[in-house]
Amino acid sequence: MEEGKVYASDVFAHLEMLEMRDHEAALKEEEELLQEEKLARLKARVKELRLQRDELRAKLDLQEKRQLEKEGPASDPAQFSPRAVLQWKIKSLQAMLQVFYLTGIGAKLTRRGVCFCISTAYEGTYLGSYYLDLLTKSEVKIYRHSVPAFIPLKQIAEQYLQTDIRRFLSVLSDQLNAYAGRRYQADQLQEHFSDQIKGTLQRNSLYNLLVFNYNVSSKSKTFPFNVRLLYGDLCCSLPTEVIVSCRLDAPASLTETAAAHSDLFRRMPLHKAFRSFSSTG
Amino acid sequence: MDSNICEVYEDEIQSLEEEIKLLAGKYEDSQQESTFFSDEEILMSIKSFQRELRGESEGYESLSDLKAQLESLETDLSFLMKFTGIQFTSHSKKTLEKTRNRTVRKHRLSGNCRSLSFQLEFQLLEMQNKAGVSAVITDLSIIMEPGGDSDLSKFVSRKRVFKSTRLKNLAFSCNFQAHNALEENRGMLEHLSNMFLKEAKFSRLFSISTEERGSLLTFFRSLSSYAEWYEHRRCTFLHFKVISSVVFTNNLFSNCVFKHTVLS
Repeated sequence: MEEGKVYASDVFAHLEMLEMRDHEAALKEEEELLQEEKLARLKARVKELRLQRDELRAKLDLQEKRQLEKEGPASDPAQFSPRAVLQWKIKSLQAMLQVFYLTGIGAKLTRRGVCFCISTAYEGTYLGSYYLDLLTKSEVKIYRHSVPAFIPLKQIAEQYLQTDIRRFLSVLSDQLNAYAGRRYQADQLQEHFSDQIKGTLQRNSLYNLLVFNYNVSSKSKTFPFNVRLLYGDLCCSLPTEVIVSCRLDAPASLTETAAAHSDLFRRMPLHKAFRSFSSTG
Repeated sequence: MDSNICEVYEDEIQSLEEEIKLLAGKYEDSQQESTFFSDEEILMSIKSFQRELRGESEGYESLSDLKAQLESLETDLSFLMKFTGIQFTSHSKKTLEKTRNRTVRKHRLSGNCRSLSFQLEFQLLEMQNKAGVSAVITDLSIIMEPGGDSDLSKFVSRKRVFKSTRLKNLAFSCNFQAHNALEENRGMLEHLSNMFLKEAKFSRLFSISTEERGSLLTFFRSLSSYAEWYEHRRCTFLHFKVISSVVFTNNLFSNCVFKHTVLS
C-alpha cells in the first residue's frame, strides 16, 4: 500500500457506512421515542380509567348506603333532569311491556292493525316467540306471521279469528306452548342424557311422535329399551300413548321396569322421567 | 421488554373498560329501580323541558322524539291491558346480580284481572349465550287476594297437599240437591254442575304446580279465562238457592271437600 494515499472510494465507502449508521441510529431513536410516547399514553389512559372506575364505585356505594338507610327513594329525584325523567318513564313502560311478554303476549299497534307476539315457555324457561301481524281495518286478516307450517294456523283462524280474537290467540298460544314444551323436553333429553340414548331420537316436526332407544342397566348388564311416545293432544306437552318395549331375550324383571318407565313417561316431562330413573337405578 | 409492558397496560385498559361498563349499567339500573315519578311529574317534566328549549331548534327534535316514543309505548300498553283484561297496578324490580353474561332481577308485581287481584314475586335470570338471551323464572310466589274466593288463593299457593296425588287420577263427582226442585230449575242445575266441573279444571290449572314450577306463563294464561268464568259464576249464584258439594277424591282418600252454599 502506498503511504499517505487515501483513496476517494474508501472515503466514500466509509462516509456511506457512517451515514447508514447514523440513519439507523436516528430510526432507532425515533422508534424508541414512539414507544415511550405510546407507553405514556397507555399509562395515562389507565390512570384515567382507574379514576373513572373508582368514581363509579363510590357513586354505587353511596347509592347502596342511601337505600339501606331510609325507606324513601334512594336516588334524589332532584338529580333527574326533565330529559332524564322522560327517559325514566320510557324505560319503565318498556319494562312493563316486558312483563306482558312474560305473561305470554305482546302487542304493538300498527297503522294497519295490531302485531301480536305470542311467547312460549316451559316451566319457567322461556322458549321462542311467534308473531302475527294482523290487519283489522274491515275484517281481521293475517298479514304476516312466523308460526311454523305444521301448526294448524289456518284452521284455528277459520274457527275463531273473525268472531273472537282473544280465543283465537288463546288456542294458538296453547298449541304453540305445547309444541315448544315437547321440543324442549326432547332437547333436554338429548343434552343431558345422550350417554343413555342409543342412536338418534326419531321425531316429526310437530314433536308429537317420538321414537328412540335407550339403555337400561340391570345387574351390570345393559339392555336396550325402545320407547314410542305419541302426543295425541296437540295442546298438551305430555304423551297420550306410551309404548316401552324391551327385547324378547331380556330378563323377566325388566318387563316390570318397562311398565314403571312407561308410567313415568306418561306423568312427567321426558327429561325429568330420565332423571328419576337414572337416580333410582 | 417494552412490548410486554404495553401488553400489560392494554390488558388492564380492556378490563377497566369492561368494569366501567358494568358499573355504569348497575348504577343506571339502580337509579331506574329506586325512583318513581307519578304521571303529573312526567307532565311537569315535559313542560319544563319545553321551557328549557325555548329558542333552541335542535332540542325540539329530541323532545318530540321522546314524546312520540312515550305515546307509542303508552298506547301499546293500554291496548294490552284492555285486550287481556289484566291491569298491572304496580311493578318494581331490583337487580340482584349483574355480570357480563348474567343478570338476575327480582320483580314484584301487583295487579288485577276483573275482580281477582294478585301479587307476584319472582326472580328473572337472563343469560347471554351464543344463541341470544335466555330467560328463566325462578322463585315464583303468587298471592291471590280473595276477590271473594279464598279457595283460589289456597289453590295457588298450597305447596304440599297434592304433592303425592296424581292429578290425572282425580275424579270428582258433583252432587246437587236443590231446595227447589222445580222442572224449570233442572236446566239451571245442569248449568251449575258444568260450572263446578270447570272449577275443578281451573283449580288444576292453578294448582301448586304453577308456583313450584315457576310457570308464570301458565298462571296468566289461565287467569283471564278463570276471571271471566268466575264473574259469570258469581252472577249465577245470586239467582239460586242451592246446596251443593263438590268432592275431590283420589285413589287413597278424599282430601278436598268444597261446600258452596248460597242462601239469601
